Amino acid sequence: MRTSVIGVWVLALTVGWAARLSCQGLVFDARRIGMGGLTLGRSGNLVRYNAAYRAVPPGEDRRGQPKATIPIPLGVIQFLHDHPNLGSDPEFKPGSPGFNPVLAVNTILNLPLYYEIKKAPTPTNNVVFGIGKDSLRVNLGASAQLVPEDQFGISGSSRPLDPGFGIKGVRVSVMGWLHDDVELQLDDNLLGFLADSQSARHDSTYRVFVHGIVQGGFAPTVAYAGRIVGDGSSGLYVGGALHYYLGVAYFRTDGTGGDSIGNPIFANPVNATAQTITQYSRAGNSFGHGVGGDVGVAWISGPIEVGLGVNDIGATITWPDTRTDTAFYTNATGGYSKPGPNHVQTTTKLPVSYIANLGYTVGNTTLGMDVLNTGRGATVHMGGEQRISIWALRGGVARDERKRVEFGWGGGVRLGPLGLDVGFWTHTNSLSNERAVTMATSVSIY
Amino acid sequence: MRAKWLRAACLSVVVAACGNGEAIFNIDVYSFIKGTAQDTIPYFVLSGSLDTSSAPQLIRLLGAGSSVVDSVLIAGTDTVQSQSGSGTIAFKLYLAADSAGTRLPSARALSVPAGTVGSAADTISCPPRPASCLLFSSANPLFAKDSVWARIAVTASNTGATPFAGKIVITSLVLSVFINDKIF
Repeated sequence: MRTSVIGVWVLALTVGWAARLSCQGLVFDARRIGMGGLTLGRSGNLVRYNAAYRAVPPGEDRRGQPKATIPIPLGVIQFLHDHPNLGSDPEFKPGSPGFNPVLAVNTILNLPLYYEIKKAPTPTNNVVFGIGKDSLRVNLGASAQLVPEDQFGISGSSRPLDPGFGIKGVRVSVMGWLHDDVELQLDDNLLGFLADSQSARHDSTYRVFVHGIVQGGFAPTVAYAGRIVGDGSSGLYVGGALHYYLGVAYFRTDGTGGDSIGNPIFANPVNATAQTITQYSRAGNSFGHGVGGDVGVAWISGPIEVGLGVNDIGATITWPDTRTDTAFYTNATGGYSKPGPNHVQTTTKLPVSYIANLGYTVGNTTLGMDVLNTGRGATVHMGGEQRISIWALRGGVARDERKRVEFGWGGGVRLGPLGLDVGFWTHTNSLSNERAVTMATSVSIY
Repeated sequence: MRAKWLRAACLSVVVAACGNGEAIFNIDVYSFIKGTAQDTIPYFVLSGSLDTSSAPQLIRLLGAGSSVVDSVLIAGTDTVQSQSGSGTIAFKLYLAADSAGTRLPSARALSVPAGTVGSAADTISCPPRPASCLLFSSANPLFAKDSVWARIAVTASNTGATPFAGKIVITSLVLSVFINDKIF
């Protein structure tokens, strides 16, 4: 059955590569797409990651920022056109001979909101396996470069809710928080086998290191944001927040999985091995607790705007009621779990994230750049917009977490309170190093 | 049965890497029979012709699940030792999922036309291919499994007045399995 053939590996590779794109966050604004994903004014990531921006009044935002943006998901129409019977489409039906887990995973991780102008080609080189009585070798050809040499995975840190009230810059709230992180890494043997076409060796283990964590809770928060220097048109804004994190539940696992090859290579039919150490604190157990903070600063002077924000500083959560189990799997014994200590204290950390931004506006021209790191590497966006009468032209460039350079360009027209924007964006998918081009469209309300 | 992780890893790499390309499994069958009795097929024909064969040999594969095998090529060489008399040799290859199945006529996956035996090394050849033969398509599904049994049969025909005898020693034998699924 194809599902079993493709199995864990294809999911790992696909998720690993595709997720790096998705974890940059979904962008619905065609303006932002056209500027290479650049965050301007009080849009996008600035308010989320810079505590000072809560105090920067909208009047300071002269970047042509609309009040609201409504995406026009042409990609959904395209997707439904390509897959008219989604419910019975064998490519999305697990168990069907035509089930395509790569397509399914990619669709989930990269929602088809954008219209694909140019799809990235999939590799077309042959892959050659050499099999002998006591030898095994694979040559992926040019596709070997797709084998991830570094750690890969999915991660996210979000604050889904933050209800509260504020007086004179001071705000008291209860913030929800959620952090997830799944990381995989091939060991040297497996990497050499797949990427360097090394022959399988006797008495060697080929493994994948696995780390996963998901934790969530809420955090009573006291925050301040305000202007400490300047007037309405320029000033220095600072912000800070102190969180008392209360963790509701968490789950963390670390381990390895793979196979131990014997001597000769095919002598032992299956030597699959896996072992993990799992720690978890269920909902209903004693809350985890910890203290952390955010700081931010924004300086606006004439045409220049500069900001820096750092989040979750020192956010270490102590979980007083944790259980630790160890799980093993070998071909000989099968899978079994060994209960470990219960009601023990463990700690987790939230990743420190930061954003730095620079904006420059003169006349109808806006230029800017930002650097964002949410704990898995920095992304850089640089872009600009030129407004000419009712028209706008945009362009930008970005470097993603894989250190690949992507390009954005686009334009828009504004008719009174309404605007129509279109943005084009290059991206690389999981299976090719050639760039694809997507188009985003949105309606802006000014 | 092969290591499942190996199958999953290798095939998923194929899936992830091939695109419209092909996955080619080059199986060194000779490595499985080298140094065993299976790599040698003796013959002794007083007159007329004689059918003889090697013992069935198990060949390990990676398994290809429900993937469709497009074609399978075989390439190999042999030498004749202790040759006496004159005659021709024709090869047949039988493939089956089990040992007994290779004895069935329906398991025939290849017929190499009879050729004159000489002292030089012979190359398995099926015109118009210069150095390989295409197996019958009926054998293709067997290569999606994790193992296949093979038996090499020889028809030796005496064309001379003296006994036609000797032994064929296989010196190389490679199966190339081509899989070209439209995954994406």
